[in-house]
Amino acid sequence: MLKLHNLTRVYQTDDVETLALNNVNIEIKKGEFVAIMGPSGCGKSTLLNTIGMLDSPTEGQYIFAGEHVEGYSEKQLSEIRKKNIGFIFQNFNLIDELTVHENIEMALIYHKIPAAERKARVEKVMDKVGIAHRAKHMPSQLSGGQQQRVAVARAVVGDQALILADEPTGNLDSAHGQEVMEMLQSLNDEGTTIIMVTHSPAHADYARRTINLFDGHVVTEDVRAA
Amino acid sequence: MFRNYLITAWRNIIKNGIFSIINIFGLAIGLMSCILIMLFVQNETGFDTWLKDNDRIARMHTSYSIPGQEPFSTVRSAGSMMEAIRDYAKNEIDSGVRFIQWGTTVRQNGNAFSETISMVDGNFFDIFDLPFLHGSKESSFKKPMDLVITEDQAIKYFGKTDVVGETLTFCCFEGREIPLPITGVVKKLPDATHLGINMIVYLQPALFGENDGTLHTWTSLNVYTYFKMNPGISLEQLQERVTYWMDNESPLVDMLKDILGDTANDKSVSDLVQQRVMLVPDLHLHAKKHAGNMGDLTPMGDDNMINTFIVVAGLVLLIACINFMNLSTAKASKRAREVAMRKVLGASRTQVAIQFLGEAIALVMLSLLFALVAVEIALPFYNDVLGTNLKLNLFNDLNLLFSLVGIAVAVGIGAGLYPALYLSRFLPGHILKSSKGAESSSSTKLRTVLVVFQFSTSIVLVIATLVVYGQTVFSNSMDVGYQSDNKMVLNIDSAGDNLESLKLELLKLPEVNAVSFSSESPTQDWENNNNFKLLESIEEGVANQALLFNIHNMGYGFFEDYGVKPIAGRLFDEDYGSDKIVRIEEGNEDKVGRASAILNVTALKKFGFKNAEQAVGKTLETNTAGGIHHLTIVGVIPDIYFRSIKYGVRASVYTFSPGRFRVANISFSSNDIPSLITKVERVWKNSVPMQPINLQFLSEMMTAQYSDEMTMAQLFLVFSGLAIIIACLGLYGLSAFTVERRTKEIGIRKVMGADIIDIVRLLIWQFSKPVVIANLIAWPIAAYMMLTWLEAFPYRINAIWLIPICLGVGLLSLIIAWTTVGGNAARVARKNPINALKYE
Ligand SMILES: Nc1ncnc2c1ncn2[C@@H]1O[C@H](COP(=O)(O)OP(=O)(O)OP(=O)(O)O)[C@@H](O)[C@H]1O
Ligand SMILES: [Mg+2]
Repeated sequence: MLKLHNLTRVYQTDDVETLALNNVNIEIKKGEFVAIMGPSGCGKSTLLNTIGMLDSPTEGQYIFAGEHVEGYSEKQLSEIRKKNIGFIFQNFNLIDELTVHENIEMALIYHKIPAAERKARVEKVMDKVGIAHRAKHMPSQLSGGQQQRVAVARAVVGDQALILADEPTGNLDSAHGQEVMEMLQSLNDEGTTIIMVTHSPAHADYARRTINLFDGHVVTEDVRAA
Repeated sequence: MFRNYLITAWRNIIKNGIFSIINIFGLAIGLMSCILIMLFVQNETGFDTWLKDNDRIARMHTSYSIPGQEPFSTVRSAGSMMEAIRDYAKNEIDSGVRFIQWGTTVRQNGNAFSETISMVDGNFFDIFDLPFLHGSKESSFKKPMDLVITEDQAIKYFGKTDVVGETLTFCCFEGREIPLPITGVVKKLPDATHLGINMIVYLQPALFGENDGTLHTWTSLNVYTYFKMNPGISLEQLQERVTYWMDNESPLVDMLKDILGDTANDKSVSDLVQQRVMLVPDLHLHAKKHAGNMGDLTPMGDDNMINTFIVVAGLVLLIACINFMNLSTAKASKRAREVAMRKVLGASRTQVAIQFLGEAIALVMLSLLFALVAVEIALPFYNDVLGTNLKLNLFNDLNLLFSLVGIAVAVGIGAGLYPALYLSRFLPGHILKSSKGAESSSSTKLRTVLVVFQFSTSIVLVIATLVVYGQTVFSNSMDVGYQSDNKMVLNIDSAGDNLESLKLELLKLPEVNAVSFSSESPTQDWENNNNFKLLESIEEGVANQALLFNIHNMGYGFFEDYGVKPIAGRLFDEDYGSDKIVRIEEGNEDKVGRASAILNVTALKKFGFKNAEQAVGKTLETNTAGGIHHLTIVGVIPDIYFRSIKYGVRASVYTFSPGRFRVANISFSSNDIPSLITKVERVWKNSVPMQPINLQFLSEMMTAQYSDEMTMAQLFLVFSGLAIIIACLGLYGLSAFTVERRTKEIGIRKVMGADIIDIVRLLIWQFSKPVVIANLIAWPIAAYMMLTWLEAFPYRINAIWLIPICLGVGLLSLIIAWTTVGGNAARVARKNPINALKYE
């Protein structure tokens, strides 16, 4: 599905140069469930954002679905992104002024999908993540776990083949964290590719493969038998 | 404590950068508008309050509203009224005085100056207690022809004030020069007076004959009549008494019966002729509504205009206050933590509220300083437009200083109260616990409502401006029915017997093409009216009944010079030799004079003629030039606008009475205007020695007719422009703030696949909504207001024009809102979303 080749990302601030990713080579196949682990500041988020095309590599190649996307314009990237990739964030990043339904629907609006179909798809996905009864609620009226389920629903409603999750359980207690992990598991079972950053070894165990980062390097890759 | 507040206030002003600038700039402009308008209002109010007993002195105004005739009003009255009313209403009236204004020439040391002298009844100084510099009211005004002048006139003619005993020579009364010894000097009158008088002469009634149209008349309105009321008498009591006298005791009762015949039975005099009294301090601002299209002793103020501008200034200030309210509540979430900490440390809600109020007032004071600077810069232009000489003299005018500080405090409280209450309400626990802003949806809604209000107001102002401008341009460009290019108007009041030589000499100038005489030039109108009776009866016409017509007198060539062509018959023509009205000598009153008349189309219709041809050859009877005259209608001309088109066209009869000529109309062709003026002046000097020249260009006279509207339009333009600028600043601030607040949301949307365009559109739509709503509110209000305003004009721009004006202003307001918001939106839309999403 995607391949990073000698990928490097340097952050240039006033006087410091941070090498957030250093010569990273990773290939991820369709249908994989990959966990990314490593100490704080080692470049996990940077890697995930680069994969998600929210950030561009300083050097190296990024091949997504067979296309070299390094030199793509923001508009082209945004096209690929919205067709293929869903995001889940540690802090949920729901829009406070919109209801649950509207938050999920938003992902479809930018796909130019007709209203009736949008409604059907949002309802279906809300059923799937078990928040249909909360459709009219505002995010602030939900618990953290429920909010993250809405975020998951939003990430998958557009039928994206790849889901990127940056510490999706980081703000949740263990029970709610468990819930979200199970949801990701079942999505993966249905064929969605998932790349997840986590600090929790227990949650990393849901993944088939774990990539360990240290100082922008890939240190080890553990593959768990199915 | 206080110092701590001040420090926080100052740091907040600095920290909020762009928001503080918007606030201070907006408030400064709002305050500047207020100060400018206050200065104007101050200049226009308080007239004549310096006069002793001003609350007991009233002037009597006259209005005619006779059925079938054009209503007519003036601030003057008939010469016989004063004594009759004074003697009748002894209980109400202490005394009365008349003024006769007489335009004349003062000759001194070989120079000639135009002056207007006021001939007044001998008790003038008992009513108007003007302070004497030299002489006294007892010693200086004892007998007819005593002359009292003002200090400024004394200096003008003699270079000193002590001029009692000196002589001024006036020219000319009945062809004679009159030397008058000066018997007293009074102080220069303050600017704030309607009394534009500086040479006061004890009236000599013998100067006016027994049957003159000035002193001894019930219907010719040539004098200004003032009454001093007895103490304790109200204006209403005086008015009631005057009206009672008019209806029951006055000679007008019988005259009414004569004119109206049987139809007079169910009418009282006051239905047709009103004598209205008005207190002297009210005259400057309110006499205009009694004045018709005639003037007063001094240029009249316009309370409508003043009220309009007070409202406009208030609105501009309000719009600036709204910016302050909106931006402070919007910013409130940022200061929530400070409030919470202060409360945790023991501050009460009141203390917090006072702190914020204090900050608001401090900000307004700072704005006031900028406003004062701005006023100083704007004053010259402002004076130029208004034709005033306003000055900002804060330290000499403590009233002004205090009212400004008062306004600033009021504005600070007005703008700061809501934010203060809003901010002080925050509960510390709530705020400190959550990282979210304390922004509630109700305060967002209120902000939207206020933005809608700002924009509706600005839009109404802009539409009003455009309509006023449009009407002014329309008035200026309307076809007046005559050719006005290359015309000069020379006043010949003082030319005496030299008219023919003057004309011949003028015609010798190569630049001068034609010279014709008339009683007035276009744009002038002395409201001369006379009764005319059509002698022949015609089908459906009004024969044998006296009808009142506007009357103008023209000499040969007048209509030709102005390019007016007859639609039937002919113009006045020397070859016929029968057009001129000849004065009927005393003793020959039983003779009937014969001459010619020309009608305009409106007069044609008033008589009931079917067409212009039918009128030619018919006869009008009128009383003029010493007796009855029969005038043959020799021609009919189209309607021409002698007056400003504000007043419409009246039924007019044009006759040829040389005794009435007051101006020479000079048609010229020259590009070297200054040399032409010099030549005309030289001709005047030679033909009419020792008289000042009074020469005007018709084009300038025509422009002057619309100067009030032009002033109004210009001021409107400026103030509505300021309103829009302030409102846009507010919108800019709000959009910057909103964009800041919505950065996270925008980031999320981008991650979800939104393009820059989507984001910009989203934000622009959010800010377009209030502007669209504001337009929908403003349009009907503005349309209603302006249609009402336009009603005052007989010829006005078509109401249809309001549609493109409204739509255009609507579009403009959206474009302005879009450009204001678009910059902020594009900036944030271009940002990389991960920065926005990374941290909460
Ligand atoms: N926008 C930025 N500008 C400059 N340096 C940055 C920026 N973003 C990240 N970095 C630096 O790049 C390095 C990698 O950051 P990254 O956010 O990817 O770490 P992380 O592994 O996700 O850490 P954590 O587990 O704390 O989320 C860090 O040293 C960080 O300071
Ligand atoms: Mg991270």
